Amino acid sequence: MSAPPISAQRFIGQRVPRKEDGRLLTGRGSFVDDIILPGMLHAAFVRSPIARGTIRSIDTDVARAQPGVHAVLTQADLAPFGVTMLSFFLGPVEVAMTPLADGRVAYVGHPVALVIADDRYLAEDAASLVVVDYAEEAAVVTLDDARLGPRVHPDTDDNVAALMGEEEADAALEALLAGAPHLVSQSIRHQRIAQSPMETRGVVASLQGESELLVHITCAGPQLVARWLTLALDRPGLSVRVVAKDVGGSFGLKNHPWMEEVSAILAAMLLRRPVKWIEDRIENLTAANQAREQEMTLRAAFDTNGRLIASHADYALNNGAYPMGADANIAVHMFLWAAYNIPAYSFVSRGWYSNTPGLAAYRGPWAIETLARETLLDRAARQIGIDPVEIRRRNLCTAADQPSVTPLGIPREDITPAQCLEKLLEVVDVPAFRAEQAAARAQGRYLGLGLAAYIEPTGAAGSIAVMTGELAQLRIEPTGRVVAVMSVHSQGHGTQTTMAQCIADQLGVPIEDVTIFDGDSSRGGFGPGAGGSRQGVIGGGAAIRAGRLLADKVKAVAAHLLNASPEAISLSDGMVHVAGAPEMRRTLREIAEIAYGEPGRLPPGMETGLEAQYRYDPPPMTFTSAAHACIVEVDADTGFVGIRRWVSSEDCGVMINPAVVEGQIAGGLAQAIGSVLLEDAARDAQGNPTAATFKDYALPTIFDVPDFEYVHADTPSQAEGGFRGVGEGGCIIGPPTLVNAIADALAPFGEVPVDLPLTPAKLMTVIEGQPWPERPVSRFHPDHRAPEVDAPAPVAPAVAAVAPAIAVGIDGAWKLVLATPMGPQPMVAHFQVAGDRVTGRLEADQGSQEFTGTLSGDQVRWEMKVTKPMAITLKYELTFAGSSVSGKCKMGLFGTAKVRGERA
Amino acid sequence: MKPAPFDYIRATSIDHACALLAEAGGGAQLLAGGQTLMPLLALRMSQPFILIDIGHLPELQGIAPHGGGLRIGAATRQADALVNPLLAQALPVFVTALAHVGHHQTRNRGTIGGSIALGEPAAEMPATAVALGASMTLRSTRGARTIAADDLYLGPYATAIAPDELLVAIDYPAWPADAVPLFREVARRPGDFALVGLVGALAIADGRIERAGIAWFGMGPTPIRARQAEQALVGQAIDRIDVQAIADLAIADSAPFDDGHASAAYRRSVGRRIFANGLMQALDRRLAA
Repeated sequence: MSAPPISAQRFIGQRVPRKEDGRLLTGRGSFVDDIILPGMLHAAFVRSPIARGTIRSIDTDVARAQPGVHAVLTQADLAPFGVTMLSFFLGPVEVAMTPLADGRVAYVGHPVALVIADDRYLAEDAASLVVVDYAEEAAVVTLDDARLGPRVHPDTDDNVAALMGEEEADAALEALLAGAPHLVSQSIRHQRIAQSPMETRGVVASLQGESELLVHITCAGPQLVARWLTLALDRPGLSVRVVAKDVGGSFGLKNHPWMEEVSAILAAMLLRRPVKWIEDRIENLTAANQAREQEMTLRAAFDTNGRLIASHADYALNNGAYPMGADANIAVHMFLWAAYNIPAYSFVSRGWYSNTPGLAAYRGPWAIETLARETLLDRAARQIGIDPVEIRRRNLCTAADQPSVTPLGIPREDITPAQCLEKLLEVVDVPAFRAEQAAARAQGRYLGLGLAAYIEPTGAAGSIAVMTGELAQLRIEPTGRVVAVMSVHSQGHGTQTTMAQCIADQLGVPIEDVTIFDGDSSRGGFGPGAGGSRQGVIGGGAAIRAGRLLADKVKAVAAHLLNASPEAISLSDGMVHVAGAPEMRRTLREIAEIAYGEPGRLPPGMETGLEAQYRYDPPPMTFTSAAHACIVEVDADTGFVGIRRWVSSEDCGVMINPAVVEGQIAGGLAQAIGSVLLEDAARDAQGNPTAATFKDYALPTIFDVPDFEYVHADTPSQAEGGFRGVGEGGCIIGPPTLVNAIADALAPFGEVPVDLPLTPAKLMTVIEGQPWPERPVSRFHPDHRAPEVDAPAPVAPAVAAVAPAIAVGIDGAWKLVLATPMGPQPMVAHFQVAGDRVTGRLEADQGSQEFTGTLSGDQVRWEMKVTKPMAITLKYELTFAGSSVSGKCKMGLFGTAKVRGERA
Repeated sequence: MKPAPFDYIRATSIDHACALLAEAGGGAQLLAGGQTLMPLLALRMSQPFILIDIGHLPELQGIAPHGGGLRIGAATRQADALVNPLLAQALPVFVTALAHVGHHQTRNRGTIGGSIALGEPAAEMPATAVALGASMTLRSTRGARTIAADDLYLGPYATAIAPDELLVAIDYPAWPADAVPLFREVARRPGDFALVGLVGALAIADGRIERAGIAWFGMGPTPIRARQAEQALVGQAIDRIDVQAIADLAIADSAPFDDGHASAAYRRSVGRRIFANGLMQALDRRLAA
C-alpha cells in the first residue's frame, strides 16, 4: 500500500458542494415519516400526567371499542417479550425499566399505554379515552429535590445514579487551595436542554415473515440500533434490519431506541402489522429524553503571577428517571483542565435520579467543563487584575509543554489551543476593542468581549468497547462508477460528500461518480453511528485506506493488461494512465468490465472484480483545539444581548471540506447561543414541563445567530489523512465565549452569575442592582414553606431495614454486580475467611483474579490491580448482611462504583 | 398531535356564517387565516364540533375610507394590509405594529380580524385597536352591533364577542396625518409575542398635544390603555413634557405578571424605560422637524 503523492489530491480541502443538499433543500429527502408500508397502522401514546406515583388501574375498554382501533396495549401486553432495556454501552440499564410503565410512573410524559389504530387521528381520539387512575406522590424534580427528597426508584438505596471521584475532601489539595495567593470560586448552573432535532423521533416497524424484523427509524446509526435491538429483544432466529436514509438531526437524542420506539416495535410484532409512530413536537419537547441540567462549583487557586496551582470541582448532573445510561459524566473531569497546565485537580461527580425525562447525550455532553473553566478564568482575571488574554497565555498548554500528561492521565502530544488563541488575536484587535468599549461606556452603551479556549477529544475508538472503528466498503462497478457503503451515518453531517471526496482522490474519479450509501444495517460493516465527532476522522480514514487498496488493485490489473509496471500507472479523471505513453490510457470502465467479466485477462490468481474494504481504527484520541472571541452589546434599557461579531479560530487538522467544517461550527454555535440566551426545558415544582411548544421553548432563529468568521489552523493529526473531529466544538466552546462577553459588557454593574439561560430579565437585575432571581426552595427542604396539599407520604422502603441477625458466614460464592461508568458488570466472588484474613477470587467475563483482604465485623476489604481498560487499583469495601451484600469499589480515576450482590 | 374530529363548512355569506354560528350554539369555531386556530386544533386545545370557514368571503375583505376614518374588513390578510397605501398614509403606526405581528409566512394567511378577535394580551393588533380608539362591528342572527375596542377585551383570549357573533369589520377613526407615532416592542426573538410593548399616537396642534391614544401589550391580562398618561399629556406643550413622570403614570395603569419568559418586575422596569425613551424620541423627532 503506497500513499499517492499529495498533488494527486484534488477534492480533500475543497469546498465541494454537498451532494445531499439538492435532495434535502427541495423537500425530496426520505425521512421516517415518508415511509408508508401496505397495511401500516399508527400508534399514539397515553402518557402520565403526573411526575411520580403509582398506577391504580388502567381502563382501556372504551378506547378499545372505538372505530378503527386495533389494540390498546399496556405493559402487561408487552411483558411477555421480556425486553431488556440497554444503555448506550449495551449493558442493562441500572434501574429496572420497561417499555411502558409497569405499575409506577416516574415523569410527566412517561408512556403508560399505546393505542394502535388505522390512522394517527383515530389513535389519538382513542388515547384520550383511556382512563388511568393514579396515586400521585410528591415529585422529585430538581437536583436539590433529588438530594433531599424520597427515592425516585423504590429499589435503589438513594437517588445517586452514578458517583465518581472522591467523596471525602483531599487534604493535600484543600491545603493547596487554602494556601494559594488567589483562590477563585464560582458556582454555575446549566438549564435543561431539549435536543430539538428538526425531525422528531419516529419508527416504522414491520415483521418480514418470521425471521426478519425491518425497522425504519430516525437514528444516529442504523448499525448500532440493529445491535441494540438484537440484544434488547434477544429472540433467537429473528434478525433485525434497520434502515435510516435521511435523518433530520439527532444531537445525541437518537443514539439508540428508547421506550417509545421499542413499544411501537413490539406492537408491530404483536399485531403482525407494520406500525408507525412519529413523535409530535409536544411529545418531543416534553417526554423525549433531555440533557444538560447540571450544577458545578469549581474552585481554582492561582499563584501571584496568575498561574494555576490546583483546582477542585463538585459536579451534579440530573439523570432524570431513566437515563440512557446512568451517568456522572467522567469526561467533564478528564477534560476540564486538559488544555491548560495545572499541577493538581480533584473532583466529586454525581448523577442524580429525578422525576423528569431521562438523560440523553447532547452535542458535547461534557461541555460544562469548558463553560465552568473559561468563565472562571475570566472571573479570575478580574479578581487578580490581569487581562483575560494574559491569564490564558500564562496557563495554556503550548507546544513547549508537550508531550505531557494531565493530572487525570490524558496524554497531550499535539494540542494547539495556544496557537489558536494567537491566530484569533491576529484577527480580533483587542486593544482597539477596549478603546471602543471605553468610548461606548461613556455614552451609556455596554460592549463586551468574550474569549474562550478549549480542546476536545474526537474520533475515539477502542477505549470504550461500543465505540468501534469504521468500515468503508468500495467497489468500482463495471460501469466505471464508484459505490461506497460506509458504516458512518449522516444526520445532516454531509458525510455523503466528505467521504466521496476522500474516495475520489484515491481513485482519481470525478466526485459525481462516487456515491455513498450509509443508511442500512444490512449493508457494509459495523459502526456505532455519529457521536463523539468521529465520522470525519474514522470514516475518512477508512475511506482513504479502502480507496488506496482499490487503487492498488486497479493499477495491478491495468499494469497486467497494458504490459506496464504498476508504478507507471496513475489514476485521474476516471482514466488509467501509463507514464510516458498517453495513447495507452484506458477508461476505468474498460478496466472494470474486464476485471469483472473476463477473468482470463487478469493476473494469474487474482480475485475478479474491483472491490475493497478497510476497517480503520484511529489512534485512541485525536484532539481538536480552538479559541473563540465574541463581541456583544447589552442594551441597558432592556437587558437584551446583541451579538456584533463572533470569530472562531479552530484547528481540526486537515479539512476534508472547509464548508462542512464551518457548517458544523456554525450549527454548534447556534445551539450555544440558544443555551446561553434562550432555551430552557424547565419543569415546575410538580414536574410539569413549562415549555411544551416552540412558542415557549425558544430556539435561536436566524435573527439570533450572526454570520461567524472563521480562522483555520491545520495541524495534521496522527490519524489517517491528518483529520481531527469538528462536530461538537461549537456547542462546547460557544457558551463560555458568549457568557464571558456578556459578563465583560456588564462588568461596570457587577458580576453576572453563570446561571443559564441569561434572559433579559436576569440581566436587568444586574443592571439595576437587584438581587439575581432565586430558584424556588426544594419542596423537600425544611425551609420550604408553600402549603403541601398534593404530597402524600413517600413510598415505604422496599428493602427490609433490619437484616436477619444470624450471619451464615461469608465463605463461599457470591454473585456481585459492579455499577461501572460503562454499565453494570456482573461478577462472581469466592471468599474464604480465616480469622480476620480473607482470601478470594473474583470471576468476570474478562477472566479471574485472586485477592487477599481483611475482615472487620461484617465488612470485607481488599485491593486488586487491573490493567484493562487502564492500569488502576480497585479498592473493594463490602458489607455482608445475611444473604445479601452491598458496598463500593473505588476505581481510581473512574471514581467509586456501587457493588450489590447476593449468595450465588 | 392531530385535531379531534370536526365538521367543516365553507360559509357562503356573512348571513350564512351567522346562521351556522347560531345553530352550533357555541360549538363552532370560525376559521379565517388559521394561524392560531390550526395549532390549537392540532394540540387539541380547541375541539370545536364545526369549523366555519369565512376566510374567503368578499364582504369581509378590504380597506376603505369610512366615516372619516378607515374600515378594515375582518378577514383582510395581514400581508395585504401591510402594503396598503391608505393605511400607510392614514395610520402609519398601525403599519409599524402590523410588521411585528408574527412572521412573513404567518402574515400571508393571518387576518387583521383574527388577531383582534383572538385577544392575545401580548399581541400588537388588539393594543393598536385600543390605542387608536377603534370600534368593532359584530354580526349575528340577532342583528348587528358596534363595540369599542376599550370594551372588547375581558381577559386573556376572552372578549365581549358572543359565541354566535362574527367580527365583520374594524373601524379606525381618523388621526391627523402628522400625528406622532409611538411604538416600542421588546420580544425574546423577532416575531415572538411581546414581553413588553406599547403602541399609540399623539395628535399635535400648535405645539401642544390635543389628543393622545396609548396602549400597552404584554403588560396585563388584556391590552391596557395608559389612561392616566394620556390625560396628563393632553394640553401639554411638546417641548415641556416630563417623560419620566408620564412613564410613571403609564406604568401605574399596567398590570404585568410573571411568566416563563420574564418577571412582572422586569416588565414594569423595562416598560417604564421604553415608554420614557419612546416618548422622548418621538417628541424630539417632531421638535426637530
